[in-house]
Amino acid sequence: MPPPLFIAIRFIGYRKKAILLSLTGVILGVAFYICAQAQTQGFEQFFIKGTLGSSGAIIIGNRFQSLHTAILDRQGGTMVNVSHAKPRKFYEGITDPERIMRAVNEFSSVTACAPVLEGSAALATDFRQEVFRVQGIDLGLHLKASALREHIVAGRIEDFQEKPSGLILGYGLADKMRAQVGQDVGLIGPDGEYRTFRICALFQTGNLTIDEKFGYIHLKAAQSLLQRPYGISHLMVKLRDPARAPAVAAHFERLFQHRARCWQDRERGSLEIFSLIRISAAITVSTVILLAGFGIFNILTLMVMDKVREIAVLRSMGYRRSDISAIFLWQGVLVALIGSALGCVLGAALTYGISQIPVDIKGFLSAKRFLVHWSVMDYCAATVIAFVAIFLASYFPSRRAARLAPVDILRGSGQ
Amino acid sequence: MSMDATAGVSAANVPLQCSDIHRYLGEAESRVHVLRGVSLQLQPGCVHAIVGPSGCGKSSLLYVMGLLDRPDGGRIALSGEAVEGLTDDQVSCRRNEHIGFVFQFHFLMHEFTAQENVMIPMRRLGRLGVREMQERAAMLLEMVGLGDKTRRNSQHLSGGEQQRVAIARSLANDPQVLLADEPTGNLDTANSERVFQLLTNLVRQQRKALLLVTHNLLVAEASDWIHEMRDGLLTGCRAGRPH
Ligand SMILES: Nc1ncnc2c1ncn2[C@@H]1O[C@H](COP(=O)(O)OP(=O)(O)OP(=O)(O)O)[C@@H](O)[C@H]1O
Ligand SMILES: [Mg+2]
Repeated sequence: MPPPLFIAIRFIGYRKKAILLSLTGVILGVAFYICAQAQTQGFEQFFIKGTLGSSGAIIIGNRFQSLHTAILDRQGGTMVNVSHAKPRKFYEGITDPERIMRAVNEFSSVTACAPVLEGSAALATDFRQEVFRVQGIDLGLHLKASALREHIVAGRIEDFQEKPSGLILGYGLADKMRAQVGQDVGLIGPDGEYRTFRICALFQTGNLTIDEKFGYIHLKAAQSLLQRPYGISHLMVKLRDPARAPAVAAHFERLFQHRARCWQDRERGSLEIFSLIRISAAITVSTVILLAGFGIFNILTLMVMDKVREIAVLRSMGYRRSDISAIFLWQGVLVALIGSALGCVLGAALTYGISQIPVDIKGFLSAKRFLVHWSVMDYCAATVIAFVAIFLASYFPSRRAARLAPVDILRGSGQ
Repeated sequence: MSMDATAGVSAANVPLQCSDIHRYLGEAESRVHVLRGVSLQLQPGCVHAIVGPSGCGKSSLLYVMGLLDRPDGGRIALSGEAVEGLTDDQVSCRRNEHIGFVFQFHFLMHEFTAQENVMIPMRRLGRLGVREMQERAAMLLEMVGLGDKTRRNSQHLSGGEQQRVAIARSLANDPQVLLADEPTGNLDTANSERVFQLLTNLVRQQRKALLLVTHNLLVAEASDWIHEMRDGLLTGCRAGRPH
């Protein structure tokens, strides 16, 4: 054991109450930090999972007019790209979806790709009529590309599969319409014709904007309902690593001349709110750690003033300046070590406790339990914050102790 | 100056030696020329006493010779090695290994037992394992007559006992030079007699050099050499009458 550490361990017991108070501050600060991050990220991850599960990592949508028209110049036969001054023109839907799907599936980063025809239709029950977004899906492909199977909360997917006029409704929408599984309802497309569909299942993603607005029918049925034979409005693409979606989407756009939107782009507004909440929670909770750091600064400053004679004698016995500062730095390290270790344990315990609290959130997101996200990064970040704060708190007193001139102290003590 | 004391000793055999030391203290108007060219050689196996009126610079000389304070002029040699060019860390290492201080106040660390206090300089030196350090500390405490109180917290010892622990601590790394600034100043007659006896015996038996600042004339008379100091200068040196 380095000699300064040995001395630090004994010195730390000096002013026990004060140091225990600061240690408690560090423990609570670290624990609260972890806990707050676990919660904010819990909801964020839940939201991301919902959006990935229902709409995929990338949506390939409308074809756009090429920004550049390639023409051959007369002399050299080289290509010249001419940029249009006019804004891009979009053509609704996907042109040649089969070809694009084949190409998309070639990518190793892509795990699945499914065609969707989306449009508005009216849903009519005995109770009321409501306009909603209907998606025509190829069930086999859709189950691979989405988390639809996991989202089913009532009824059976197999019933839908067997029934060409089957309908899977969002849980929130069904609730609003007082519709139940097994019930027959009417769908009215743009032609105004009333078609009967049977509710085979209900789904819930947890994201209310989806659960209250969407319903699925078979692709063929949608094409006839929406009067767009062979039409595909977009492809949803599932990626192995959703984090890489922006780069892949940009690549798709260049390659296919179709609009490709990644989920980060699609949900930018919500994601920004989540990260704002996360940062503000981090700042708020970090102040607890900073306050504890301030307490440690006070304790060590007082200790240096009280221990000047001991410091002078240690110097006379051959302890170097760096040994003296190490005595006080070690005390900070000990508090930081114990504080962040216990804080991490307490933080994990609190996070677990919170995740077990039954809640009934219905709003922007809906969930049955408090949502938490377990991330090693939060524990590291809390520990780093604690160490930095405490290092600063002990650095200045330790430097002061190291700079003391032993001779001045010894003379002042009546020698 | 102290010609008799230095006779017949070669430079390398002199454990500690200083020549023409100058030291100023204070700033601007309050600047004082505290040491005005002091030269002194310590001899192994000898007790050197410094006597003089209060404020004449005895402590200042002790700190400079103990490498705890840097002089403004003059040279210091520790076992023949000049210390002027050494860094602060190197000087600290020399202090740790070659010099033992005893002050008027014991300055023991109250968080530690008597034995642990004696071990503090040994830990810094780092040559012995914990067991060996414990044994050596116990042996040193035994020598100063505190063999039965090694585990006692240093706060729960009498003033005389604490000063004896401080002496054991100054011997921790077996230094060649002992520097004592009024080590008996805070003790009653019986205790100061005992502490002084302890120090002189050590010097004789282990051939250490002791520089002793004292106001006690009886103590001074019993030293080998008595140096008189006045206004920052050593004004005379005479042999004492050791028992
Ligand atoms: N920081 C300082 N500034 C100015 N003068 C100082 C300072 N420190 C000490 N002195 C002066 O230096 C002189 C020598 O002090 P020193 O402590 O060496 O005396 P001393 O001989 O040990 O006295 P005593 O017997 O009382 O211990 C004193 O006159 C003191 O006033
Ligand atoms: Mg003095």
